[in-house]
Amino acid sequence: MAEAAIIDSLKKARIEELLEQGKRLDGRAFDEFREISIETGAIPKANGSARVKIGDTEVVCGVKIQPDRPFPDSGDKGVFICTAEMLPLSHPSVETGPPGPHVIELARVVDRGIRESHMIDVSQLVIKENKSVVGVFADNVVVDYDGNLFDACSFAATAALLSTKSPKWEFKDDAPALVEGSEADLPVGTIPVSVTMVRIGQHILVDPNADEWQCKDARVTITTNSDGNICAMQKGGHDGFTLEQIKECGKTSARIGAEIRKKFDGISAGSDAEQ
Amino acid sequence: MDVRRRYVIPGDTITSGPYRPEQNVTLVGDKKIVSTAVGVSEIYDNTVKVIPLAGKYIPKINDLVVGKVITHTSLSWELDINSCYVGFLPATDVFGRDFSAHADELATKLKTGDLVAARIANFDRTRDPLVTISDRDLGKIDSGELVEIAPGRVPRLIGKRGTMIQTIETATDSIITIGQNGRVVVACDDAEGLLKAKKAIRMVNSMAHSTNLTEKVREMLESGNDAPREAATERREDDKE
Repeated sequence: MAEAAIIDSLKKARIEELLEQGKRLDGRAFDEFREISIETGAIPKANGSARVKIGDTEVVCGVKIQPDRPFPDSGDKGVFICTAEMLPLSHPSVETGPPGPHVIELARVVDRGIRESHMIDVSQLVIKENKSVVGVFADNVVVDYDGNLFDACSFAATAALLSTKSPKWEFKDDAPALVEGSEADLPVGTIPVSVTMVRIGQHILVDPNADEWQCKDARVTITTNSDGNICAMQKGGHDGFTLEQIKECGKTSARIGAEIRKKFDGISAGSDAEQ
Repeated sequence: MDVRRRYVIPGDTITSGPYRPEQNVTLVGDKKIVSTAVGVSEIYDNTVKVIPLAGKYIPKINDLVVGKVITHTSLSWELDINSCYVGFLPATDVFGRDFSAHADELATKLKTGDLVAARIANFDRTRDPLVTISDRDLGKIDSGELVEIAPGRVPRLIGKRGTMIQTIETATDSIITIGQNGRVVVACDDAEGLLKAKKAIRMVNSMAHSTNLTEKVREMLESGNDAPREAATERREDDKE
């Protein structure tokens, strides 16, 4: 897993030295994202899909819609599940096989960000209460790794969901039956945007690349909704943040999240646009 | 007359003349010399070889490599040498013959992420290569910046009789350590010089197949930015005083 890649001590020292001078290795400001490109309709056969690039990090997400059984404790809600996977071609340290703890965490953080923002109103995805509901599966695949997979996967899943055309089912003869020729957008309420920050020494950096990721003392991923409210947060790394730093990170995520959210404007089902 | 240099893919017959097969070629039957890699075939004197366009580093005894410490056991370090093999650096090489696995802690000398200039001491493809740092100019690298290039481009970076690397070193006042595994460490007191040297190395890496490359690199190095270099020289002279 790319998390295990080791940065050489010379580069680490250089990154830390530059941070003290208020600079980053690639010349960005501390709160500046790399260039983000969002392209929808990347997988023609999927119900919705997107390809997102943040600098050299690249993620493809496909959305599959199919009838499913509801969870036993929530028969009046549809199912939404977001997964993530890293391809061996994404980084030399990634091997085939079951996902490691970092990839499992990646999927869960992305899933939580979208779920807790209530982007998709799952109560509208019921075919027959307690019997059959619509399942929405967003599967992220990391094609190229250069740090900050949390945000790349989150943007890809969000864009793919926005571009999704969902088929319709009706409950007939104790089973869901497809209603031919009727498709609709997913019931989307808000647009979640996650912003990942790392702390290296006393400096907080937004959108760390792979090298900065290796130097981090701690990291935090904060997801905000369209109203600018924080709806999910995940902290990682071997060290912590002070209360002041976390407050600052919250403000940064809302401010930068609002800018990034504009990139999702105009994405709707059937639009094959590059933003 | 055989074509001296041409692009080949695995399986291409390079020649059936009386030549000695060297790297990335194999003898099929009695005469046919066939490529085993994608690259440029070269017939020189009485030898035939293929310079691969891409690929990992395959260790060769006596090669100088720049390794990165991945981990260590109680008896040895493991080095990432940009290869499909892991470099194996025994603790006795650093601590000497009276090394004791109980008393000596390996992490005190080399820790994860440290870069070392090492030499391949032994390798036969059946076991991981044994590397050594007990020689002049070998050991931990404390300063400079690491630039990675394709291992196949290393001869191009050195140039014929070292012309290319000398050009870069003189023009930028830097000291460049080139590992045969494609890892290059550039040390330079002057930030401008460092940037230029790195740019030149990357230029060689991306333009390795063009002719007259040394001249192009020299032109790039000399274009316009002489002032900072002079300033740097002055500074060093001031330091001496």
